[in-house]
Amino acid sequence: MNTEPKILVIDDEPQIARALRTILQARRFQVLVAHNGETGLALAAAQQPDIIILDLGLPDMDGVEVCRRLREWTQTPIIILSVRDSEQDKVLALNQGADDYLTKPFGIEELIARLRVALRHSAQAGSTASAPLIGSEALQIDLAQHRVTQNGVEVHLTATEFKLLAYLARNAGRVLSHQAILARVWGLENSERVEYLRVYIRQLRLKLEVDPEHPRYIINEPGIGYRFLLD
Amino acid sequence: MYSKLLVRYRALNEIGASVLLTLLATLILFALRSEENTAMISQLYLLPVGIGAARWGWRGGISSALVSFMTLNYFFLEPYYTFSIHRSQDLITLVIFLAVAAAISQLISQAQRSQSVAEAHQQETLRLYELNNVLIGLNTPEKILQALASQTLHAFEAGKVEILLEPLEDSSSVSSQSALIALAENLLPGQALAAAPTLLVPLESGPKLVGEVRIWLSPAARAGVDQRAIQAFMLRGVMALERAQVAASEQKTRALAESDRLKSALLSSVSHELRTPLATIKASVSSLLGDYDLDGAVQTELLQAIEEETDHLTQLVSNLLSMSRLEAGSLKLQKRWNSLREIVDGVLQRMHITTHRLALDVSSDLPLLPVDYVLIEQVLVNLLSNCVKYAPENSLITLRAWAQDELQALHLGIINQGPPVAEEHLEHIFDKFYRITAAEKVSGIGLGLSICNGIVEVHGGKIWAENSPSGFTFHLTLPLTWQGEQPYLPSP
Repeated sequence: MNTEPKILVIDDEPQIARALRTILQARRFQVLVAHNGETGLALAAAQQPDIIILDLGLPDMDGVEVCRRLREWTQTPIIILSVRDSEQDKVLALNQGADDYLTKPFGIEELIARLRVALRHSAQAGSTASAPLIGSEALQIDLAQHRVTQNGVEVHLTATEFKLLAYLARNAGRVLSHQAILARVWGLENSERVEYLRVYIRQLRLKLEVDPEHPRYIINEPGIGYRFLLD
Repeated sequence: MYSKLLVRYRALNEIGASVLLTLLATLILFALRSEENTAMISQLYLLPVGIGAARWGWRGGISSALVSFMTLNYFFLEPYYTFSIHRSQDLITLVIFLAVAAAISQLISQAQRSQSVAEAHQQETLRLYELNNVLIGLNTPEKILQALASQTLHAFEAGKVEILLEPLEDSSSVSSQSALIALAENLLPGQALAAAPTLLVPLESGPKLVGEVRIWLSPAARAGVDQRAIQAFMLRGVMALERAQVAASEQKTRALAESDRLKSALLSSVSHELRTPLATIKASVSSLLGDYDLDGAVQTELLQAIEEETDHLTQLVSNLLSMSRLEAGSLKLQKRWNSLREIVDGVLQRMHITTHRLALDVSSDLPLLPVDYVLIEQVLVNLLSNCVKYAPENSLITLRAWAQDELQALHLGIINQGPPVAEEHLEHIFDKFYRITAAEKVSGIGLGLSICNGIVEVHGGKIWAENSPSGFTFHLTLPLTWQGEQPYLPSP
């Protein structure tokens, strides 16, 4: 049995695909490469990769569309690759279920780190999909009881704060766009009111973080959204 | 048809009035009747004839002349109360009277007519003068048409004026791609207009038909309207349009020449700028590939050089992209309520500044900022790169932000320990391709700061630099309100 994680790279630029294949193989990943969306979807179904790296600019179909079609049947983590000025596409892909994103050009260490986070969280999600309890040693979130404890001490949250934290924590490790969080917690009609979200995130940090100026649980994804990390 | 009726109605009015006047005169003269003063009376009868001609034109004059001819005969020439004449002398008196009366009424009404023509001319000149005054300051076809329509409306007392302008020849300019319509209306409440306009006047530019003017006139204004005057109006309008077109294409030519100049300057410095990092990368990579005896430290150094140079190239590419968008005016702001602290954190994380020390005084509690995240991030990257480039290694770079003007603006200061910049350069460092240091010494094409300027300007903010006692400082202010409002925040 092969224990090397299997990665599917969907990218039409041969240089990037080649570089990723070489580098990732050297880091002991199994690498599959698809140069367009259709092949990518077919390979994903046939080979059941552990993680998918998806470029947004594909020749045959929109990367956002690939993302949507993958999410119809699989929860395999998807990491988006995109260029700097397509923030909007990035957000669209995240809202279609992508887990994380990287902006080209990126450092390989950063990519490896993102891959590790995504793999770890997909493994956790598999084992604790319906667990009412989420948390690390210090922070415990009881989704059933609506209770949050920090080092055993209960933290008092308002109903909205809890709803926000619960949504973030259930999707730990994933990048959640501002719009997705707003739509989930405040309803679709408020999905552009980023200012609400900032106020509540600030409140949550003041209550949960040891140093709210340098948060370790609720991480900014600049210009995109937030990511909840448990480690 | 209606206007013919109207003319007839007016003629009847004129005739009736002068007949009445003549009859009134007859009544008065009748009191003076005696056999001796027939000659005097016939002379006095010229009075209503003259007044009739002066007031009601030739119709008034002639009808008054005819009526007095008969009343003179009937009431004042013996035998009284008959139209028969016994003395041949009386017949001569009557004939002479009629001839004189006709001549007088003709002369007077003619004088009257030429006076009213002169008045109309004067009025037309005045209207044209007014129109010229209005048109002279206008430079877009839309404004010219609108002014022409409303001036026509007032000058000719029309109910509605509609001007249709076909697309002008120069179809490359955006404003003239589709037909333009200008509309002016002055309707009393409840007043309705006919579906078809009263007058249709073509708009001609030389031999070419460029549009059409549709005028709806009220019944009262319809009779006296002067088509020639309307045409003179439209001629002025067309001239103003042509003038605006010439001015616009001149301006475009100038802009093209300027952007040509910028493009060639950009091209030459960009190719220089691209070659430098590429040369470094190529050299480092080939020595890493070819020379297996390099020790670890040298390898690391070469690899670091490659990484730094690729970062330079990345920044250069995004600057070029923003530059071309700013130039083309196609930069669309994706404004959201952003936190400056979050932007600063993102930038510092991305830039990984290790050569300088950083002091951060940007609170997460600052009011939210309505900006395009990516663009402001680029401004900060450019400003910080500039600091890193010019300030001595290991010196301190300070970022300090505060709200000012009663929460109307956010002020960010970036202070570095680089050498002061001569005052005469200070206001130019945000100009395109302006560089203080010789091009060879420090890399960069003077693009970064001018892009900062462009981005901050489209956000409605300001950027400037200063040699302050604490160090060379970039100042940046950005509005804290969006369409005049601050964010509506829920109380947590």
